[in-house]
This record gives sequence, structure tokens and C-alpha cells, in this order.
Amino acid sequence: MKIHVLGAATTKFGELWDTSPRTLAKEAMDGALKQSGIRSSQTDALFVGNMLAGILGNQANIASLFAEELGEQIPAFRLEGACASGGLALHNAINSLKAGVYKTVMVLGVEKMTDHNSDDVTTALMSAGSDEERMAGATFPGLYALMARAYMQEYGATEEILASVSVKNHFHGSFNPKAQFKSIITVGDVMRSGKIADPLKLLDCSPISDGAAAVVITSDTSLAKRIAKPIFITASEVATDTLSLYDRKSFTTLASVVTASQKAYKSIGINSQDIDVAEVHDCFSIAEAMAVEDLGFSKKGQGAKDISENKYTLGKGKIISNPSGGLKSCGHPVGATGIKQIVEITEQLRGEAGKKQVKGAKIGLTHNVGGTGTVAVVHILER
Amino acid sequence: MKITPVKLWRRQAKVSSQIGKKGKIIAWTTIRIPSKEFTSQAPYPVIIVALESKEKMTLQLVDWGMENLKIGQEIITVLRRLYTEDGGDGIIHYVIKCKPL
Repeated sequence: MKIHVLGAATTKFGELWDTSPRTLAKEAMDGALKQSGIRSSQTDALFVGNMLAGILGNQANIASLFAEELGEQIPAFRLEGACASGGLALHNAINSLKAGVYKTVMVLGVEKMTDHNSDDVTTALMSAGSDEERMAGATFPGLYALMARAYMQEYGATEEILASVSVKNHFHGSFNPKAQFKSIITVGDVMRSGKIADPLKLLDCSPISDGAAAVVITSDTSLAKRIAKPIFITASEVATDTLSLYDRKSFTTLASVVTASQKAYKSIGINSQDIDVAEVHDCFSIAEAMAVEDLGFSKKGQGAKDISENKYTLGKGKIISNPSGGLKSCGHPVGATGIKQIVEITEQLRGEAGKKQVKGAKIGLTHNVGGTGTVAVVHILER
Repeated sequence: MKITPVKLWRRQAKVSSQIGKKGKIIAWTTIRIPSKEFTSQAPYPVIIVALESKEKMTLQLVDWGMENLKIGQEIITVLRRLYTEDGGDGIIHYVIKCKPL
């Protein structure tokens, strides 16, 4: 069975004070439907990725809420896996098609974070960690800082080399009209930015964002035939790991990412070097350094250095990482991120990514991570 | 972070066995933008420690100086009050932290 992407759309990402979660979701779903050439009544179910609506907005039951916004009384499900909620929603949507239960479904990722102050958001995000980590006063920047410290110790990487991840992603984001930050930054800017959790500084960290993204996927080939540039999701894998970082053998690799990506490559008989373009989960600069290693693009310990040497930069590298600007520059509305990555790769494979187009991209990958690698979701798309 | 009396009681059953354990820092950070409850304590170090008992833990470092923020620094686990302020139930919440040796 082939899984076709019929339509894919995102809202603008950023501090969107004049929009509500409902407005964001509606805009993304309308955009995806319009591209699909179908009406909302042709969708069989809705899958929603969201992490924080219950904690920050005191709103549970949101799958039904967004089905109401879609205008259909269809089955609706909310999936939560911290910052990998979007990817998990898509994985479950794909499984429902493979099982033959539904034929055409809407998958929505949505998050509204900037209504709340950063203390509250930091506390809410820490719900993805463990009790022990919360009692130690750890935060998510803090947990990734611990990984950065271990990585720097193990591989001799410097803060400047890690900073180059943010520099690359802001360069890419400068071409993305939907990005939260379109400014070009330098390594010096990152080094001079305020400390958050040493060695991570403000510009090593993805922002607090609002945004929504939606895709319509189908197993119905008659619907797919009406699309000029069909894109297929050919692999969808999920893996999990311990809730706490300290329980791991290594702090410089995310085993869940290695497992999910290896399973994905194997399932369609390709290897990591066949990927042309990837949207990876750069919640912090260190995260992308480890991502390009764990996905098998760079050798272990070489990821940050390779990024600093432009090996993943638009117009220069072989595999282009985060042409959207990634979480750092495009923004990170946590539940929306996993779906936004799919939207970006779909546009890349259609050749419709504008100034950030990766020339001739045929195979794309998305890498969506929750917690400290507690859950990883990998999708592969082909044209 | 909501801590109910029952949850606290359940947790503290194992706390006494975790006091006085020695180990070494294997990773450290300084939290400057904390969760809400820790605001009055920031900046403070959070470390991952490898204990002599082979366990690993993520802990807050107390009674520290800049010279202690290094990989390999020896520490010992201690009992400390979790927050400066008490929770709504009026219970004083103690947890395991660690200090340099």
C-alpha cells in the first residue's frame, strides 16, 4: 500500500498573539485541504499532535475540538509524545491507513506557547522529563547542556563549533517566509548571547513559538492520481528510550534515533547516504550535531565539525539539513514541529521550496524527537 | 510541580538509603533560567554523577564554588530542602542533592 501526501501546509510560525489555537489549526487544515483538492467531508479521521494544551491552556479533549474546527464529526485522536507529538500523530495516522480502517485522514500538529510567560513554559516542557530530573531542578536546556558537556569532553568540540549549527539554520531560515526568525547570525552573535544553561546560550536554543501544520494523507490511489506532483511516505518508524537521561549508557548518542532510522532505511532498502534533504530536530545546537551522527550522515563525533564546515548547508553540502531553518530559526511550536517537517520535505520533493530549494531532491527524511531522546520518530518521503 | 503529601511520603521511603553516597561528576551545567519553583535559587549547578555503587543520578549541586564545576569532581550525596518556599500543603520537602568533597 502506498501512502500519498495529498496536501501539506503550515501557518506562519512565531509570536502570534492575535491568533488562537483554533484559528491556527483551521488555517493549517484549510491550507492542506485546498492543496489536496478534496473537501473536509472526504476525510475519514483526524489525528492531532499536541503536547501542552492541557498543561498550559487547561484544555484537554482537543482532538474533538479541532474536528469541530474542521467542520466534521469524524473520529479524532490526540497523540502526545512531548516534542515528538506531531511525528507520533502521523505515524499513527499511517498505521490506520495500512490497517485499512481509514483511507484519507487529516494530520494536524498545533501548539500555542507564547500566551504564557517563559517560566510557565519551561515548567510545562519539563513534564516531558522524569520526577528525579524535575527534583534536581533540571530544565530541558539543562538536560541538553549536560549532553553538550559530555559531547565536548568526548570529542573535543568547542562552543564555537556548536554555535555554527545555529548560524547555518538562521542562514536557511532567512529564505523561509514562514520562519519566526529570518535574521542571519554569526558565531560571535551566538557566543555573546545570554547564558541559559552552560554551555548553551540563548542562540543555541530553539525559541518558544506558536504555529500549526497539517497534512492530508491517503491510501486511495484515485485521489492521488489527481495530484500533479505525488509525494509518498515510504517509511515511518518510532523508537523509545528511558525517560531520564542519566539512565543511559551514553549521553552523546540518542539510541532511539539510531534504532528508528536504521529500521526506516532497512524497510525500504536504502542507506543514510541516499538521503538528499533532512528536517532534523535541532531543539538545541547540540541536538543537530548528534542527529546527523545518529542518522548515519556523519561519523560519530564529527557531526558538529561537519556542520561547521558547511557540509549540510544549502548550495554547499551533499545532504542538506534543515532547509526550513529548523526549530532554531523557523520556530518550535512543539506539537506542530513533526508535521511542519513533513510539509517542508513535501515542498522540497515537489520542487516548490522557493529560495530554500535543495536542487533535485528525491529522497527526504524527517527526524522528530521527544524529551531527551525518550521518543524518536523518523519518516522518509520520496517523489 | 505539584507534590501531594501522599506522593511525598511514597518518595521519601527510599530517601534515607540514598544519603552519604560518594561519586564523581560526569557532566555538569549551570541552570540560569529555571522552572518556576527554582527561580529564587538560580543560577545553580545540575550534574550527572556516577556513584561508587555504579548508579547514576541527576542531582542539584549545593555548597559549591566555581572550582568544583569540573568533570571528575568528587561529591557526596546529602539531604536538603527542595525549595526555599513551602508548598501549599505546608509540608517541608526534602530531597537528595550533593556537595563537593
